[in-house]
Amino acid sequence: MSADVSQSGGSGDPNEPGAETPTTADQIRAADALQQAFTRLAPQGSDAWNFLAAFTHLGDRYGPYHPGASALSDAVASDRGDVRRTGPLDRLRPRRNAAGRAPDGEKTDLEVAMGHVVEAFRFLSARVGTLEARLAAQDRPVDGAAWFVPARELAQLAGPVAAHVMGSTPGGVIVHADCGEGDLLHALDARGAESHGVEPRGAVALRAIEHGCSVTIAEASEYLASRAEGSAGGLVLSGVVDRLPLYALLPLLTQSRRALRRGAPLVLVSEDVASVRAREAIAQDLVAGRPLHEATWELLLLRAGFVEVAPLPVGAQGDGRVALSAVAPR
Amino acid sequence: MSGVHHFVPVLHRGDAVGRHTLGLREASRKRGFRSEIFVDTVDDETADETLPVLSYPERAEPGDVVVYQFATASAMAPWLAGRSDTLVVNYHNVTPPELMAPWDNHLALGQLRAQGDLRLLAPRSALAVADSVYNEGHLTAAGFVRTAVVSPSAALPELVGSDAAAVSSAAASATPGRGARWLAVGRVSPNKALEHTIAALAVARAHGDPEATLQLVGRPATASYVAALHRYVAELGLGDAVQFAGHASDATVASAYARADVLVVTSEHEGFCVPVVEAMAAGVPVVAFDQGAVPEVLGGAGVLVADKDPYALATAITAVLRDTSRRVDLVDAGRQRMAALHLETASERFVDLLTPLAAPAATSP
Repeated sequence: MSADVSQSGGSGDPNEPGAETPTTADQIRAADALQQAFTRLAPQGSDAWNFLAAFTHLGDRYGPYHPGASALSDAVASDRGDVRRTGPLDRLRPRRNAAGRAPDGEKTDLEVAMGHVVEAFRFLSARVGTLEARLAAQDRPVDGAAWFVPARELAQLAGPVAAHVMGSTPGGVIVHADCGEGDLLHALDARGAESHGVEPRGAVALRAIEHGCSVTIAEASEYLASRAEGSAGGLVLSGVVDRLPLYALLPLLTQSRRALRRGAPLVLVSEDVASVRAREAIAQDLVAGRPLHEATWELLLLRAGFVEVAPLPVGAQGDGRVALSAVAPR
Repeated sequence: MSGVHHFVPVLHRGDAVGRHTLGLREASRKRGFRSEIFVDTVDDETADETLPVLSYPERAEPGDVVVYQFATASAMAPWLAGRSDTLVVNYHNVTPPELMAPWDNHLALGQLRAQGDLRLLAPRSALAVADSVYNEGHLTAAGFVRTAVVSPSAALPELVGSDAAAVSSAAASATPGRGARWLAVGRVSPNKALEHTIAALAVARAHGDPEATLQLVGRPATASYVAALHRYVAELGLGDAVQFAGHASDATVASAYARADVLVVTSEHEGFCVPVVEAMAAGVPVVAFDQGAVPEVLGGAGVLVADKDPYALATAITAVLRDTSRRVDLVDAGRQRMAALHLETASERFVDLLTPLAAPAATSP
């Protein structure tokens, strides 16, 4: 029961496991990243919630949309001659008894119509909810089985991939998803690049940020969708391409092309089909996305609009992964 | 004989306002007043304790005092404002709509309505009673002229403060070999800002306490916010470390306090914060953001963190858990603060305020 967290950047006990303490600046960046990671989960402006707001507005304007939920609502409006209820539609309302209630079983045409409107809204709201849930499942397969797969760093591939990207970038920020603990980001920074990582596993991202990397805690698809068109000078996709289901890969690559500047390089690093069976077989079986053959990746990249798709010779280091390079159309 | 009657939109036995209202009714009756609880929506669990609000006009007598428990928007507010009874507003706070808007526009609009209801009642009220000085400020801002502060009555579940306190005192010294047990209690709602607690847990686990856990006890109140918290926990890799216990019985709440090493409160907005009092009664130290009414209720008997930063919060919690003597001091200070709040006599003090407003016939039984 001993956490060792310090605001000052100094560790109380350097021999304690996990006692390595980030600098204050990195702590601030990590705190911001954690907060942003949560903020993006709020459904601001989503249609489902706006429908609910619409219910309330309709209720304010025309009367309660849950007849009977509040015994007082009708009574209050009747007693005070509520101005919200006046107007051409008010003639449709029934006479009230002394307590301000409509006679049992009697509804105005307006109330009947509003019932239909509310039912329609409820249907639409449920439909939007279903669609959003389905989209979430497609965009964010990190929950569940994918968590069984440990973060795999680019490790010895980081140097060659960084060299390739830096050799062909037209300039601008280089993005890596999933960046893990930041091997490639460090390699890019060492070559003078402006790099940024995307990592959906918060605990992994936290370590990368605390080690000085610039990282957003998010799914690659969410992050790329938020980037301005043509704003990235290069993009490396690893990890994410091995865990997304097949139907989500083409949208991801299309988003990638949109985010890249003209002529900017993309590098895709994927598990090799042949090597997977011998390693982590059980865990891989649980993952929705299975490794794809290089030829399939080539096809997907071309369909997403990339050009100059070719194998990138970085696998000679005994890593076992395959890499492909491509270029956003000039 | 005139009466002191209590109005609440719905009476829940398990929540703070429900307990408070029941306590006030009993105190009113002991003082010789006729006293009933009138509700707009009947809760099956409390149906035998309440009367429908629309039956009140038949029972009303000249000189009655009407006490409205104000915590949310309700048709009761304009209805009471339109009557001529002597009106007392007992204000329990309204969550600012801007805290709800990102998560549920419907609820946010409800909070806006509640703010409007409060302003509507201000010129009609003979007295407005807040449960904290912080809340009294809201009343003044809404236009209430005559105000007072009385702590909520019957604020504590019965089991807290007995067995729980004994068990937690035994655990007042840090237990080596296991992770710290963080506890957060209250509705799972955006104003509780539980994401700050979760983020701080991630930091603490990354820096020396990899076994630290967090238990969240409270009713899920805002579906989109609850879903986001679950996803956030998963993304931070805390699935095994964070437990969403949901709505719990008094016994379960007491058990949670008994197991806890620290109560963490990161609310953006609290009008009183009953869990702080519960923790003090149970002998659990409190670490909280310096926000809302929490500093006032803590009264120095806890650790306040000014910076809403997960590293600062994790540091503060760690400091409390590591330092046994400080931990014991905080527990002792909490018990003293608990006694100073005099919650057990809050109902009587509230009725003291009502008595001069009631018709003279009722004051001399």
